[in-house]
Amino acid sequence: MHIPDNFLSPPVWATLDAISVPAVGLMVRQAGRDLDDARIPLLGVMGAFVFAAQMINFPVGVGTSGHLVGGTLLACTLGPAPAVLVMTVIIAIQAFVFQDGGVLALGANVFNMAVIGVLAGYWPFHVWGATRHRAAIFAGAFLSVMVSGSLALGELRMSGVAMPRPLAVVSLALFAASAAIEGVITICVIQAIEKLNAGYVQKPRASNQRTLAVFSGAAIALGVVGFLVASAAPDGIQRLGIQMGLTAKTVLHAPLADYTTGSFLESAWMRRATAGLAGLLLIYAVCAATARWLVRRRSA
Amino acid sequence: MHHVLLERWSQRASPLHRRDARAKILALLVFLVVLATTPAGAGAILTTYAALLAAAILIARLPLSGIVSRSMVVLPFSLTFALISWLAGEPWRALALVEKSYLSTVAVLLVAGTTPLPLLLGGLERLGAPRLLVLVAQFLYRYLFVLSEQAQHMRLAAACRQGGATVRGRNGFRAASGALAVLFARSHERAEGVHRAMRARGFSGRFSLLHSQRFGARDGAFLLVVSAFLVLVRFG
Repeated sequence: MHIPDNFLSPPVWATLDAISVPAVGLMVRQAGRDLDDARIPLLGVMGAFVFAAQMINFPVGVGTSGHLVGGTLLACTLGPAPAVLVMTVIIAIQAFVFQDGGVLALGANVFNMAVIGVLAGYWPFHVWGATRHRAAIFAGAFLSVMVSGSLALGELRMSGVAMPRPLAVVSLALFAASAAIEGVITICVIQAIEKLNAGYVQKPRASNQRTLAVFSGAAIALGVVGFLVASAAPDGIQRLGIQMGLTAKTVLHAPLADYTTGSFLESAWMRRATAGLAGLLLIYAVCAATARWLVRRRSA
Repeated sequence: MHHVLLERWSQRASPLHRRDARAKILALLVFLVVLATTPAGAGAILTTYAALLAAAILIARLPLSGIVSRSMVVLPFSLTFALISWLAGEPWRALALVEKSYLSTVAVLLVAGTTPLPLLLGGLERLGAPRLLVLVAQFLYRYLFVLSEQAQHMRLAAACRQGGATVRGRNGFRAASGALAVLFARSHERAEGVHRAMRARGFSGRFSLLHSQRFGARDGAFLLVVSAFLVLVRFG
């Protein structure tokens, strides 16, 4: 689900942009660390493969057909960090060339589908890939689609896009159905690929990447939060928003209560904007520092 | 196909085509941010922005009707949500959602239609995007057409073998996943071939562009004037 521009409210997309930039930066550095020259064209061609794969239809049920989304397939064949990189590129090209998803919302879409989607999709394979191969692949592909879908839904709702409860339930049910389809397609395709050449699929126990395991766990936790936000009663969030708005208002307005000049609204707006920017910088700094710390710890 | 048309548009010549990719990307960002913070119900501001976009399309010598119709890809999504907002008793919000999401799509299409993608990616790299990310994007875009065509050939071949009948259920699934696996293996082999060819030609680790991209005084002036106009319209 690619979110277009102007569906998310500025605080939501700006926060997700501030999180996605260092997260993708970390993944690009991880991918670049153990990448030889020969793999650079491979990553690009595999991204093109995911695009092309959408042309091959899988018969699903009565008269309908589905196609591969590909996050888990990429993670199982290229490794998680390169898969995040390739998915990020795919989402960016979809936004610029195909007008599928917004540019300001790029951070949100990359966060949902490339960062969280791929890591959540890789985690089961990382943990059970060696013993319960098929189940792990299915669980990964299912989680990948489900988690990114419910995150998108949660973000839309946080932005105040009207979404009655029945619609949210129906969307979640649709996500679950397409997640199950993605699971079955991914199993079939990976098994067919293994039949051609087992070397194409990663060995799950080959490397012990604890950072990635932690990240993937966090990704799934976030997905669960998104799911809860999406399925919670809408008044819950509205109440939270109103309460936070009220506190912000009392905190910001109290010292200014005596001023009744014409520029009052302007200055309040400026204040809110400045506070927002400061918050974003803080989030960006925390994410960037975490990323740097993770890289340093890994190389130490 | 859509991207072929976009490719043709971006090869034309106009004052907008000649601007540096960085100037266009930054102007696009200013436009999108200013548009995103415009409150619902500010019809005059949105009309001015629409007029500005229309003028830019004319200056870029792109077909107005083509851009207008291609930007409609966003409408199914935004109309659905607008309808819900409307039913929820927020007609202004619904209208703003449709208008703003449509205008942002037109703006992105305008930038993509006046900048060939390799130059756009080069601009992103100079603005600080990681080199590896940009490299992968260049490769992806280059082989997008090749692999899409290959997938279409495979689909055609499968249809021919089936003699027009559609295979459903388990067998159809197995056939499709086999086709994807073959496409996967071929892509892998193609990537190896590409790498060997690149090595043979002395690939240095970055793509060199035929047009030299220079951020000149005109690009700076363009960025400044557009941003000033946008901000003035929004806050003036």
